[in-house]
Amino acid sequence: MQALTGLGVAGLGGLLAWGALDIPSDAGYAGVGPNFLPWLVAGGLLVCGALLTLQALRGGWAHVEAPSGAQHGDWSALAWVAAGIVVNASLITHLGFIPSCALCFVLAVRGLRLAEGKAAAGAAALTQAATDLLLGAAIAAPVFWVFTKLLNISLPGLTASGWL
Amino acid sequence: MDITTQLLAGFATAATPINLMWAFVGCAVGTAIGVLPGLGPAVTVAMLLPITSQVEPTASMIFFAGIYYGAMYGGSTTSILLNTPGETATMVTAMEGFKMARSGRAGAALATSAIGSFVAGTIATVLVTLFAPWVANAAVQLGPPEYFCLMLLAFTTVSAVLGKSALRGVTALFIGLAIGLVGIDQITAAMRYTGGVPEFLDGIEVVLVAVGLFAVGEALYTALYEGKSTTSIQRSGRVHMTPQEWRRSWPAWLRGTAFGFPFGTIPAGGAEIPTFLSYATERKLSKHPEEFGTTGAIEGVAGPEAANNASVTAALVPMLTLGIPTTVTAAIMLSALQNYGIQAGPQLFTNSADLVWALIASLYIGNVMLLVLNLPLVGLWVKLLQIPRAPLYAGILIFATVGVYGMRQSAFDLFLMLGTGLLGLGLRRLDFPTAPVIVGMIMGPMAEAQMRNALSIGEGRWGVFLERPMSVALLLVVLAVLLLPPLWRQIARRA
Repeated sequence: MQALTGLGVAGLGGLLAWGALDIPSDAGYAGVGPNFLPWLVAGGLLVCGALLTLQALRGGWAHVEAPSGAQHGDWSALAWVAAGIVVNASLITHLGFIPSCALCFVLAVRGLRLAEGKAAAGAAALTQAATDLLLGAAIAAPVFWVFTKLLNISLPGLTASGWL
Repeated sequence: MDITTQLLAGFATAATPINLMWAFVGCAVGTAIGVLPGLGPAVTVAMLLPITSQVEPTASMIFFAGIYYGAMYGGSTTSILLNTPGETATMVTAMEGFKMARSGRAGAALATSAIGSFVAGTIATVLVTLFAPWVANAAVQLGPPEYFCLMLLAFTTVSAVLGKSALRGVTALFIGLAIGLVGIDQITAAMRYTGGVPEFLDGIEVVLVAVGLFAVGEALYTALYEGKSTTSIQRSGRVHMTPQEWRRSWPAWLRGTAFGFPFGTIPAGGAEIPTFLSYATERKLSKHPEEFGTTGAIEGVAGPEAANNASVTAALVPMLTLGIPTTVTAAIMLSALQNYGIQAGPQLFTNSADLVWALIASLYIGNVMLLVLNLPLVGLWVKLLQIPRAPLYAGILIFATVGVYGMRQSAFDLFLMLGTGLLGLGLRRLDFPTAPVIVGMIMGPMAEAQMRNALSIGEGRWGVFLERPMSVALLLVVLAVLLLPPLWRQIARRA
């Protein structure tokens, strides 16, 4: 995992270097142009990536603290939470802020409960989801009103009324 | 105008009902999010950044400062009762504070941390009042080469010195710099790393990265790894100290303040070093060394808490006078100022004197408010800890959506937020520090501009950095900061 991360960092550096090829270099008085920092960062990431890989292959990174939590991840729980954000991102302009966030809440809360081993199954899952939908809406609605009515920040609504 | 008149004028501005309201709401919100796990002051300020489009600058800076301060008070409460430090700076508090709570002295630990924070915060605010105008005066003489060297110093300390591993810190810094590169170059308007995506032209918002890395990353991490972890809340009991506890606390508060303030002011920030130094000192000086690490020693809470608060307050000095942030929250407050078109730096004290002095005055007011909010009302905040984890983190995602979407009304940003959330998840799991990412992303473009301006002054010669005494001195400090710790370690190993 550590070696792969090192390679990933180096890969990112490579990607930045490839992108830096397209950046013009007209330097003006400064002697360095807009492509200077990109090359520097690309080089830096390549070096860091190489060193990280080297350290990993030589018995692991220095001074790593064991991460908190479980040894193995609960990937399905993660997928539910991530799905919540994706659904929200894809629907927010169509459904409006409140319904879209409530949906996100339902999916994310299910993922987090799954991780805790407390998610309801079967028919109970539906009642749970319905309650969560209401709870999510109950959190999102006041937030929406405070931001749109009080602070005049534009958030998408389902209707033009400004309340939903 | 001398400092007293300006400070009084600041109080006049800060004490208007509307600004007092902002300060109070900021302190209350700050305490609440400090108590709740999963949110820190940086994320909260980031999520509320959209209000900068509607609220006037002074009010919003007072509000953000209240959050910044309040979150520290709240964070100590959680560290003591739950042993889950929200930030690295409160890690030390958790060490002794939680042990005190377990042996039934949570009330005394909470009291010494709240009163200590108040004492340190107030002393530090007085020092900021006296010190900041002086630094601003001196800073007027700095040119682009000096600024660049100062930023280089901040980069070095944030990434290479403060963390456990210089290599991972520097990697995180470069990732932040890379994120900061995306968009249109400030000087020549060349497009960099936009990949033809119009959303990338304006660059990536700081809010998005901060919220993604911290709030979303935390929610994802909790779902993936923390599902089975359990925590036990200790009862707080009555918050008060016996006369003997007072006697043991106050010298620790003063020593903690003395450690915290200088570390906060130098652009090498971070509250971690002073809190650890204070802890080590208290442990050495204590007449009750047997309590450390066993039943919990009150000095071990009092000192580090004061150090933390003093250094966080002191971080306002480089932020306001030089425009250099040394903490993540300061970095985000700086970008709030940028949203108003206000450039932090030495000119801030002349161009926006009202704002600066109202902000400083509000710090005095905020400290008093927080003491009131946290001593008698601590039971109220502790109730927040009973919110179950699942709806709490799912609810945080809703707030994250407001902050990120509200910034520029783009659903594309929400996808990016998920991306940075996954990055945050990876960084946390693999033990990379996250602060260098934010600092690199915010200061990267600033440092690049200063560097290119400096080179223009020197007509393209790099020697310009070596021809000015101040910039040479700063470069030497950078070298010392880089080379001394490993050397010192070598010597210590040999001895």
